[in-house]
Amino acid sequence: MSKIKLLRGEFDSRLKLQLAPGIKAGFPSPAEDYLHDSLDFNRDLIKNPEATFYARISGDSMVEAGICDGDIAVIDRSLQANDGDVIVAYVNEEFTMKYLDTTHLAEGYIELRPANAAYSPIRIDNLDDFRIWGVVVWTIKQWKR
Amino acid sequence: MTKYYAICDCDNCYVSCERVFRPDLERKPVVVLSNNDGCVVARSKEAKLMGVKAGTPYYQLKQLFPDTHIEVFSSNYELYGELTGRVMAIIRDMAPQCFRYSIDEAFAILEGIDGEQLQQWGRDLHDRVWRSVGIPVSIGISTTKTLAKVASHFAKKYPGYDHCCLIDNDEKRIKALGLYDVGEVWGIGRRYAEKLERIGVSTALDFAGHKVEWVRMMFKNIVIERTWNELNGIDCVPDDLPARKKSICTSRSFDGMVGDFDTLRTHIANFAVRSAEKLRKQQSVAQVVGVFIDSNHFREDLMQYGNMADKTLLTPTSSTIDIVMAATDCLRSIYREGIMFKRAGVLLMGVVPQGAVQPDMFSYDANRHGRMTRMDSAVDHLNRVGGTETVILSSQQYPGGKKFADAIRHDHKSPCPTTRWSDIMVLK
Repeated sequence: MSKIKLLRGEFDSRLKLQLAPGIKAGFPSPAEDYLHDSLDFNRDLIKNPEATFYARISGDSMVEAGICDGDIAVIDRSLQANDGDVIVAYVNEEFTMKYLDTTHLAEGYIELRPANAAYSPIRIDNLDDFRIWGVVVWTIKQWKR
Repeated sequence: MTKYYAICDCDNCYVSCERVFRPDLERKPVVVLSNNDGCVVARSKEAKLMGVKAGTPYYQLKQLFPDTHIEVFSSNYELYGELTGRVMAIIRDMAPQCFRYSIDEAFAILEGIDGEQLQQWGRDLHDRVWRSVGIPVSIGISTTKTLAKVASHFAKKYPGYDHCCLIDNDEKRIKALGLYDVGEVWGIGRRYAEKLERIGVSTALDFAGHKVEWVRMMFKNIVIERTWNELNGIDCVPDDLPARKKSICTSRSFDGMVGDFDTLRTHIANFAVRSAEKLRKQQSVAQVVGVFIDSNHFREDLMQYGNMADKTLLTPTSSTIDIVMAATDCLRSIYREGIMFKRAGVLLMGVVPQGAVQPDMFSYDANRHGRMTRMDSAVDHLNRVGGTETVILSSQQYPGGKKFADAIRHDHKSPCPTTRWSDIMVLK
């Protein structure tokens, strides 16, 4: 049997040394006064982490909006959905992603508009049974495979 | 300014979590089963109204309710843990101070909030959680934690409260306690509830209305007296109450029955590993390892036998290997051939914080201890990063190389859209 050497097993702590201006050892760095936290998608793009969910796009109903099969959508449930937003709705026991069109709200219906000439809009007449699940805030597309 | 407590808890928590990704199940009867699909542990309001009782064995569900379709889920703690974590984060953000009390409830201390603002605070919390996570929460607010629990009951029961019930004066307190069964009061166990019923105390108001001397004489129990105080508006349950668990139990009912020692030992090894992981997660160590095994009480035609053994360790530990070895020893001492076992478990007792350990003078080996600790934290890391059971002990492996997660039954388990990329929602 071969020997296994365990090197270290303490993985719980994370250090961000870059942001420790209190520690001064050796020659002061000229960049010290300009220290800034790194760009962080989680912090900068996700405004409401408790309300954020991810989903994968299936199909081409939004392809003319640049949203393609396989893309990842970042959904914020807490946002108010407005006319023209790309939203996630639950229709016919399926989650779907479409443009929200409230032009005809006063007439008692709304429309979920695809971005693909081959598809027709979904008309929602019974607003009591219909709920918007969330609002799409970003989509992520992978280029280099 | 009076100090107010709010208990914030998720309504029918597990069912509500399942509904987040299944909006079609709203207003329909839904139940969630215990580990291994044994019995009902959570019910939607509709299932409760139908008469589905908590603890109903899964196989009886169809017989008892043949005419209605009940949606059934295996428990998915990965999902419930993640979603309730979001709820807790919102409570933490909105409350001046708060502490989690269980998977689905937290106490908030509302210092600096008063009068009209209190009820508004609760309603705002409900709205924000509902909008952000999609889980309904109820809020009970009062001057003691026990009264807040009472208020929470009414917040859930009557839609008129709009998810938040406030007991902030004596008139409301007396009215609420008069409508509240003494057995339901937080801190009064079933045993005391039976005793109280026998002596004619049936509502919380009957109990709170007695003199404290009577309570002392009848019960000679500090917890009961504390509860009496709390019902009378005297704040005395400490804030740090959800301290580390004093004992940790991992147990299961088996899918079928288990007779042979090796399979039973494998189950016990898995329970022991799970328990040791829980122990390390809360930075504790245990002094006593216990094992219990039980035959199938529903099978009166078979020989019945149940027993429990425990082993006290010289130095309290959280080491997986030490705990598995102790548990295996315990099992060996109580196992009996020819018995078909239905249920078994591992119980860790004498749980204390890691730092508070007095090592045994003669047997303690600091080198070995260091190696064990490093190994455990490496294994914990690999299992966290690579997924549960990436690394297991050979004694955890079932015949055919099966792992624990595959050996337990979860036929109706939902996906984990918030913790696994492979399970995220699909948008058409």
